[in-house]
Amino acid sequence: MTAPSSPSVLSIRKAVKRYGTVQALGGIELDIGEGEFLTLLGPSGSGKTTLLTAIAGFTGLDEGRLVLRGKDITDLPPDRRDFGMVFQGYALFPTMNVRNNIAFPLKVRKWKPADIQARVEECLALVQMEGFADRMPSQLSGGQQQRVALARALSFRPSVLLLDEPLSALDKKLRADLQWELKDLHRKLGVTFIYVTHDQDEALSMSDRIVILKDGLVQQIGEPGALYNAPRTTFVADFLGKSNFLDVEVEGFAGGRARCRAGGESFEVATEAPPAGGRGRVALRPERIRLAPPKGAAFEGAIRQTSYLGERCHVILDHPGFGQILVSCPTWKSGVVPEDGLPVSFDWDADACVFLEDA
Amino acid sequence: MQKASFFRIAMRTGAWMVLAFLLLPMLVVVPVSLTDHSYISLPGQGLSLAHYVNYFTNPRWLEATWQSVVIGVAVSALATLLGTAFAVGCWFLSDFWATVARWVLITPLLVPPVVQALGFYRFWVQLGLIDTLGGVILAHTLLALPYVTISVFAALANLDRRIPQAARSLGASVWTTVISVVVPAARPGMLAGALFAFIVSFDEIVAVLFLTVRNVQTLPKMIWQGIQDNIDPTIAAVATVLTLLTASIMVVVSLRRRN
Ligand SMILES: Nc1ncnc2c1ncn2[C@@H]1O[C@H](COP(=O)(O)OP(=O)(O)O)[C@@H](O)[C@H]1O
Ligand SMILES: [Mg+2]
Repeated sequence: MTAPSSPSVLSIRKAVKRYGTVQALGGIELDIGEGEFLTLLGPSGSGKTTLLTAIAGFTGLDEGRLVLRGKDITDLPPDRRDFGMVFQGYALFPTMNVRNNIAFPLKVRKWKPADIQARVEECLALVQMEGFADRMPSQLSGGQQQRVALARALSFRPSVLLLDEPLSALDKKLRADLQWELKDLHRKLGVTFIYVTHDQDEALSMSDRIVILKDGLVQQIGEPGALYNAPRTTFVADFLGKSNFLDVEVEGFAGGRARCRAGGESFEVATEAPPAGGRGRVALRPERIRLAPPKGAAFEGAIRQTSYLGERCHVILDHPGFGQILVSCPTWKSGVVPEDGLPVSFDWDADACVFLEDA
Repeated sequence: MQKASFFRIAMRTGAWMVLAFLLLPMLVVVPVSLTDHSYISLPGQGLSLAHYVNYFTNPRWLEATWQSVVIGVAVSALATLLGTAFAVGCWFLSDFWATVARWVLITPLLVPPVVQALGFYRFWVQLGLIDTLGGVILAHTLLALPYVTISVFAALANLDRRIPQAARSLGASVWTTVISVVVPAARPGMLAGALFAFIVSFDEIVAVLFLTVRNVQTLPKMIWQGIQDNIDPTIAAVATVLTLLTASIMVVVSLRRRN
């Protein structure tokens, strides 16, 4: 599912941007649906900010077009695009109080003073900041500044809101709270959100669709569950959650199951079509592996190291054929009590493994 | 331990001597201004305010003071306007050529005043600006520009580059962005720059001596001529008044900054 489920608001056609020899955007093709929460996810330097600022109009594209509801906006200046934008580091106007910050886009649009006043109150209520109208930005905490920045970007009712790592400067707990609030706001307002982050958990928990970027290229687009369960490349499987990788030889295929050999063991992989050529690589999520006492499951190994994380426990297994295997098990119902050096057995279901395209 | 304390004593003595060296000329001026003689000297029989009375009643001294103030205010306004525009422009571009332009604008600080004055003289003759108020204002504005741009650059140094971007994304044109977001952030630098520009102009003498004859008479020029033509202690009275004025401005400014 790589196309948006609603009609497209914004289309990005073959967007290319170079900085000297660095290709920040390498020909991005993307359609963003009406009212969608779309996340651009990628490691640092993958071109997320460049793409977002190109959409906002701060970065001129070397090639390609931007089309908003059928209208070409590639050459429009940022102030004529009518996108709300929330910046990394908030970018509130330091010489204006909260009220004037939020009123700014309304004043430049020449709204009537009474309308401005009413709308500012409405926006403050929207982000639960009533009573802070007369504070200066320097008198607010990070989370409060973020809320004001959000209210300011939404005050003029833009149809698209661009957000560049808006939560990255906040501590973990606050970040989680604001994730809920942002999602709620998105649902209430029906505005299209284009959200940039390098945090995979944030992307998974908030998005309708995720675009995974690397080196200025789209790696994969899809709904969070689809991406997580069916990564197409090693990069995606590794970046979105953790994965074990096994290089396998396909020995046979029947009834939607490929018979595979790797590391002297054989197992089945559920697939519609195994890779041509009889060789491939599969990704295996750590939480899909079951631990059992010795002889209790298909493969025998030993625990090399454990790491206790509260609700989960991460275990690194040594297996003579597979090498090291990462297992993540819930601490409350693990088949064995993990302990360094303990011999164990383990296995997984046939649908736990996914063939990757870049073997 | 012994060595360290010797070092400290030497350092302290040195520091106090430098301070005294800097302050003594100022402190000598005060008693001279109160002398009861009609020539430059320390007070003899008693103290006298006659020279202060002379300064505040003599039309030539008052006229010169007024002219210096007018020139200073005009220079301050012009240099602040031009310097701010330049600094804001450079801040926006912030590329290689903006850096070059910054350095070029600041180089006049490195050129000896006499050389600059000579340069002004040559051009001002051609432009017919010799011995005019406008000529002096223009020359002083050029001298004061680097000070304004430096202090506006300093004020803009901490301004987040995303702030004007935010203004643009919220619908403001470039012009509105500059006026409503960048200039307010530059304001402390502009105020400091304006004050600097006024002071640069108010006590400038080299260019004034090169560029004026009789029409323009500034306070520093009057003092200079006063020393040459006669030995009137009014000069000391003027100097004392100016020192007191400067000191009180400094006190007010630093008190306001405290609050
Ligand atoms: N103004 C710029 N000048 C030169 N290179 C840049 C500039 N902006 C971004 N880049 C380069 O483009 C690439 C993508 O950057 P960016 O879009 O900021 O990545 P991200 O936001 O995903 O971390 C990086 O390699 C970065 O170094
Ligand atoms: Mg970035």
